[in-house]
Amino acid sequence: MLERLFLSHATALATIAAFAVASSIFIAVAWRALRMRPNQLDRFSRLPFETPTPACHHEPKSESAAD
Amino acid sequence: MSNEKITIEFNDKIVRQFLLACAVWGAVAMLVGVLIASQLNFWQLNFNTSWLTWSRLRPLHTNAGIFAFVGNMIFAGIYYSTQRLVKARLASDFLSQLHFWGWQAIIVAAAATLPFGLTQGKEYAELIWPINLMVVIVWVVFGINFFWTLARRNEPSLYVAIWFYIATIVTIAMLYIVNHLSIPTSFTHSYPVFGGVQDALVQWWYGHNAVAFFLTTPVLGIMYYFVPKAAERPVYSYRLSVVHFWSLVFVYIWAGPHHLLNTALPNWLQTLGMTFSLMLWAPSWGGMLNGLLTLRGAWDKVRTDPVLKFFAAGITFYGMATFEGPLLAIRSVNALAHYTDWIIGHVHSGTLGWNGFMAAGMIYWLLPRLWNKPLHSVALANLHFWIGLVGILLYISAMWTSGITQGLMLNGTTDNGTVLAYPNFLDTVNAIRPMMLMRVIGGGLYLAGWLLLAYNLVRTVRGARPVNGTIEVFAAEAAPETKPLGLAGSIFNPPVLFSIFAFLFASVWMFGGDVLKIVGIVGAMVCVALAYLHYESRGKRWAEWYDRLLVTALPFTLLTLIAVVAGGLIQIIPTVVANQAANVEDRRQIPYTPLELAGRDLYISDGCYLCHSQMIRTLVPDVLRYGDYSRLGESIYDHPFQWGSKRNGPDLARIGGKYPNIWHLRHLQDPRSISAGSNMPNFQWLLTDTLDLSNLPRRIAVQRELGVPYAAMTDAEVLGKARAQAAAISEDLRAAGAQVAPDKEVIALIAYLQELGKFEPVKQAVPETGSRLSD
Repeated sequence: MLERLFLSHATALATIAAFAVASSIFIAVAWRALRMRPNQLDRFSRLPFETPTPACHHEPKSESAAD
Repeated sequence: MSNEKITIEFNDKIVRQFLLACAVWGAVAMLVGVLIASQLNFWQLNFNTSWLTWSRLRPLHTNAGIFAFVGNMIFAGIYYSTQRLVKARLASDFLSQLHFWGWQAIIVAAAATLPFGLTQGKEYAELIWPINLMVVIVWVVFGINFFWTLARRNEPSLYVAIWFYIATIVTIAMLYIVNHLSIPTSFTHSYPVFGGVQDALVQWWYGHNAVAFFLTTPVLGIMYYFVPKAAERPVYSYRLSVVHFWSLVFVYIWAGPHHLLNTALPNWLQTLGMTFSLMLWAPSWGGMLNGLLTLRGAWDKVRTDPVLKFFAAGITFYGMATFEGPLLAIRSVNALAHYTDWIIGHVHSGTLGWNGFMAAGMIYWLLPRLWNKPLHSVALANLHFWIGLVGILLYISAMWTSGITQGLMLNGTTDNGTVLAYPNFLDTVNAIRPMMLMRVIGGGLYLAGWLLLAYNLVRTVRGARPVNGTIEVFAAEAAPETKPLGLAGSIFNPPVLFSIFAFLFASVWMFGGDVLKIVGIVGAMVCVALAYLHYESRGKRWAEWYDRLLVTALPFTLLTLIAVVAGGLIQIIPTVVANQAANVEDRRQIPYTPLELAGRDLYISDGCYLCHSQMIRTLVPDVLRYGDYSRLGESIYDHPFQWGSKRNGPDLARIGGKYPNIWHLRHLQDPRSISAGSNMPNFQWLLTDTLDLSNLPRRIAVQRELGVPYAAMTDAEVLGKARAQAAAISEDLRAAGAQVAPDKEVIALIAYLQELGKFEPVKQAVPETGSRLSD
């Protein structure tokens, strides 16, 4: 077994296994993210704006979409 | 729910402290960087001193850049944003102060030891063991303070920035502890427990993921908080940020072996590292696009607002660096780029472009808010941006040109690949001199920009009154809509259990013997089928588990840790278990004599490994230039390994016996007397400093503990052997016309250099595919 590991015969298998594992994780996470509810997404994405932030005095005034 | 509101005052003092430290240490790191870049152009700038020599200062530059500059920046950003995202003051003012002053003490200790040659000899892991202990303690303090704050939070949900911070804390703790495991021989010296290929693998598992989890994930968390705040609009896609987090955290940890391509590292690990590096393109660019698209509708402000300028450029550099990284991890591209300046350019597009610009943007955004005073000069901040941008572009374009030139010249062959086109290494050094000078100018401009920031900061803060942010929360916050998971509930859940069993069966399939392979593949297939059936029938439970996980810090942390541990275990365990003396291809290293070991410790102490590799790759040009390619067994007793990552000078794996002792003496004393045009510093103190052998018996004893097959020797025997060999070398030098006393350091270093490349043959199966050489 060790000989096979070190003498490179598992190389092709390692590539395929690596791709399969990472793809599974990616697809599973993407699937969960796509299934998130709109109100849940809106709530999360607005978290940085729930705490008041003092003005910085030098930025140009603009209409804020989030505040 | 109570209607009574209470006002919470955030601990912004700690943010101000880390922010100021970031500005100061940033300037120091960049100043040392410009100095060492200049030393590569003008060797005289080494000033013939040991403590100002390039190879002593280079670790100071990298450690200051990573741990002092970026470290203080991420702590400032994490503490500011976490308090606001969880609507709670930091749990402990005492722990916050302990964290700050402990971290600064570590930085000072590093600055006080590295220039004096006190080093472990592993890149970005150079700090000696007492300082490493301090790092672990302070990191634990940071972790306790952070998680304690999360436990006291008034906001049940965890924003994605917090996820990135959690991944940073747990992963860095794991990486740092494993890579720094060592056995002390004295208060200032230790040998790592791993040696040879094990050490190489563990070191680059750590080194690569220090980039990933110290320079990237916390800064991504900072990006996900500060960019929306600065642009005054929510993150472009929260969905994308979720995918970004999990895919990045899971994939990054596997990519370390790409630092060891074409070396003696087993091929399956090289392939694994390359494959996962290529897969990093997807999450990295997803994150970059998410950051840039957050600026949608705010691009008009980028023209006038320096904060958004820095953020937009910083995120763009993140995209550039994370495109370039996987590209460099392709084995054939790596054959050209590895050991050259291209890698230096790549690293600096990340640190200067991504980390430096994100730090500048964050500081300019925070300054007016933490001191309740307008920024002293917006124009100066804009000037900083343009000077810094020009500086980076000069720097990295010079390094690209230099690196590709080096790669093409060093790999260039004629006569159908049988003869080197440029056999003299110095040809390449002289060819890239204009680019090295351009690097100094680029780095100097970037430093000038940073000094403008420091000036702007001082003028803004002077006379200003620090203010702490506040928030009103209900005395007893509303219970979260989603019930948090308990620790057991988060593990004993269908998605987790199915994943664990599938992973275990797949591992058995991959690594088991004939029968176990069948068990593994059948088990993995059954797991996948059962998981599918369970999801079809009880899909709601799967969704509920994930929703509950998002509002529960501890299980979330545990799963993040599992995600990062999996990649490390798969790579390291087989190598650690299998890397015994029997698995050495066809050669085994001969243990060093006591004097050679003392010389090796000097080699490490003087940072020779930072310019000279000891790894002849399985590439025809390497073999033509340096000799037969390096075997796994030839460094099996090296604690730490010395394969190197950059060749400012030639490889030394087979330098032993190539030149007489007198050649090495003259070369170390004045390299230009042997190699005209060399930019190597003079190491003339080695001829005058007396070798300290008092600790040598203890060092030999520790080597034996680590498995190096030394015969049992008394202390007197160890010292006797060392002195006898030193006398012989001294006598040889005297015969060649040089008078050097046997107790001088240079004698030990020559002994070591003359041993390099010596091995004993081992009867061992060779690869059925024959030669590993490739072009």
